[in-house]
Amino acid sequence: MILKIENLNAEVDGKPILKGLSLSINAGEVHAIMGPNGAGKSTLSYVLGGRPGYEVTGGSATFDGQDLLALDPHERAAAGLFLGFQYPVEIPGVSNVQFLREALNAQRKLRGEEPLSGGDFLRLARGQADALGLSMDMLKRPVNVGFSGGEKKRNEMVQMGIIDPKLAILDETDSGLDIDALRVVSEGINRIMRKPGKSVLLITHYQRLLDYVKPDFVHVLAAGRIVKSGGPELALELEREGYAQVAA
Amino acid sequence: MTLALPSTRQEAWRWSDLSALPTLAEQAPRGGVIDAHDFWIGDGPRLLFIDGHYDAGLSRPGPVEIGRTGDASDHPLARLAGGDGWVLTLGHDHAPSGTIEIVHVATGGASHLPARITLAEDAQASIVETFVGDGWANRFTRIALARSARLMRTVRLLQSSGFQSIREEAAIAEGASLVTILLGAGAAGTRIDAALSLDGEGAFAEFGGALLARGDQRHDANIVLRHAAPGGSSRQIWRAVADDSATDSIAARVEVARGAQQTDAEQSLKGLLLARTATINTKPELEIFADDVKCAHGCAIGELDKQALFYMQSRGIPPHPARALLTRSFVAGALERIGEEAVRDAVLADAEAWLGEAA
Ligand SMILES: Nc1ncnc2c1ncn2[C@@H]1O[C@H](COP(=O)(O)OP(=O)(O)O)[C@@H](O)[C@H]1O
Ligand SMILES: [Mg+2]
Repeated sequence: MILKIENLNAEVDGKPILKGLSLSINAGEVHAIMGPNGAGKSTLSYVLGGRPGYEVTGGSATFDGQDLLALDPHERAAAGLFLGFQYPVEIPGVSNVQFLREALNAQRKLRGEEPLSGGDFLRLARGQADALGLSMDMLKRPVNVGFSGGEKKRNEMVQMGIIDPKLAILDETDSGLDIDALRVVSEGINRIMRKPGKSVLLITHYQRLLDYVKPDFVHVLAAGRIVKSGGPELALELEREGYAQVAA
Repeated sequence: MTLALPSTRQEAWRWSDLSALPTLAEQAPRGGVIDAHDFWIGDGPRLLFIDGHYDAGLSRPGPVEIGRTGDASDHPLARLAGGDGWVLTLGHDHAPSGTIEIVHVATGGASHLPARITLAEDAQASIVETFVGDGWANRFTRIALARSARLMRTVRLLQSSGFQSIREEAAIAEGASLVTILLGAGAAGTRIDAALSLDGEGAFAEFGGALLARGDQRHDANIVLRHAAPGGSSRQIWRAVADDSATDSIAARVEVARGAQQTDAEQSLKGLLLARTATINTKPELEIFADDVKCAHGCAIGELDKQALFYMQSRGIPPHPARALLTRSFVAGALERIGEEAVRDAVLADAEAWLGEAA
C-alpha cells in the first residue's frame, strides 16, 4: 500500500476542517476525490504535503511504510510525494530551470543519489517541456511569473515529469483549462504516472477530467470526511444527481 | 589628531553607529603577511593596499598612479582622507583594457585613503574595489566625468569586522554615465555616502546595491543625487536584507534643480526582513523644482513569501536553501545591474557566500 490515511483530523486557524478522514491507495491505482467547494479537498492535499498552519489533531497517514506526518515537506517530496497545486505559486527572480534543478538534486541528495549534471538536467527538462507544449524559453523565465492559468497547470505537470514521483496528489489540475489544454495535461498525467508502482490521487470538481484520466476508485469528500466510495460510475452519478443527493 | 565624529543627533547620521571608530583610530594595524589572492577577479590592472599603504610588489597598476589627489571634502569622514592616494586620469577616448581592480586589506587600526578619477571626453573605465580584513577603512573618492565619459564602479564591502566608510563625490557632464553598485556583505559595519551631481544635459547616474546584514551588523547608506541639468536620468536600486538584530538603513534623496526639465529619476528601496528582530529603515526623499519630470519611487519592506517557501519545499528543496534561493533572487535585482559578467558573477558569489552562512 502506498498511502494509508486513518481517521485524519486537521484544523486551520483553530477551525476543524478534516474530521475523521480515512483513505487507502495501493500502488498502481488512480483514485479521484470529488466534493463540493469548501469540503476540505485542498486542505487534505496541504496536510499530506505538510504545509505550515495545517495542524493535524488526530489520526495517521502512512506513505510507503513511513509515518508521513513525521516528515518535513521536503522529506515527503524526496520520499516520492508530489503535490500539484490548485494555485501554483509565482516566484519572481528564480527561473524554472534553476528551481527544478535545485529541487531534483535536493531530492536525490536526500535519497543518497548523485546529483544530475547541468546537461542531463536540461535534456530531461526539455523532454518534459516538449511533451506538455511549453517552450524552453518559458522554463528559463521565473517560476510561473506571467504564465496564464493553463500554462501554470502545464508547468505543474512538467515539474511532475521531471521529479517523477511515486504518488501524485493533483489538486484541481483541470480547473481553468480549455478542452485542448485539458487533453494535453491529462495525457501528461497518464504518461508520467500510469506506470506500475505509481499512484495518483486526483482532486477534482468536475467529471470531465475523469474521461481522460480514468480512475479506479472515486470518493466523495463532504464536510471533512469521505462519505461515499465507489468505482468510476460514482463520478457519473455525482455529475447527474449532484453532491447533495449522493452524499446524503 | 583628535577624532571629531558626527553625532547621531544630526539627521544624516541618525541611523549610524560610529561608536567603534575612536578605539580603532587609536589602534595600530597588525600588518603581517597578506594573501589577497582570492579577491582578484580578472587579469587587468590591479592595486593592493594594505592598511591604506600601496603594495607595489603585489600590484600592476596599469594607468593608475599613486600620489596626491589634491581634493578636499568637508564631509566629516571624507575630510580625514587626505595625503597620498590613487589617481586615475584618462585622456580623450581612452579606455584601459580590462577592469581595474583595487583590493583594500585591513589588519586592524584605521586607514584613510583618497582617490581621484578623472575621465576626459569619451573615456571609459571599469573599477572594482574590494574591502577585506578588519579595522576601519575610510575612503574618499572624487570623480569627474567629462562629456560622454563612462565609468562603472563596483564596490565589495566584505570585511569580517571593523568598519568601512565610503564617500563618493561625482560631477557628471553632458551625456556621461556613472554607475556605482555596492555589495555590503561580510560582517563589518558600513557607512556609504554619496553626493552625485548630474551637471550636463542627458547625464546618467546610478547608485545602488545590496546590503546584507546579520548579528548586530549595521549598513547605512546616505545618498544625495542632484539633477542640475535637463534630460538627465538616475537610478537608485537598493535591496536590503537584515537578519537577527541587524539594521540596514538607506536614505536616498533626489534633487531636481529648477530648469532640470525632462529629468527621469527612479528610486527603488526594498527591504527583506529575515527575522522579526531585525530593522530596515528607508527614507526616500524628493525635492523637485522643475515641472516636467518623471520621478518613480517605490519602497517596500517585507518578509520571505511563505507560500513560495512551501511551494519550494513541496518540490524537495529544504528550508534553508529555499530561503537562500528566495533571498538571492531578491538581491539579484540590485546586483544584476553590474555590466560585466565576470564582475557580476563575483559579486553574486559574494552574496551567495553570505547567504550560505545563514543558520
Ligand atoms: N488558510 C485558511 N484559513 C482559514 N480557513 C481556511 C483556510 N484554508 C481553507 N480554509 C477553510 O477550510 C475549508 C475547506 O477549504 P478547502 O480545503 O480549500 O476546500 P476545497 O478545496 O474542498 O474547496 C473551507 O471552509 C475554507 O474556508
Ligand atoms: Mg480546493
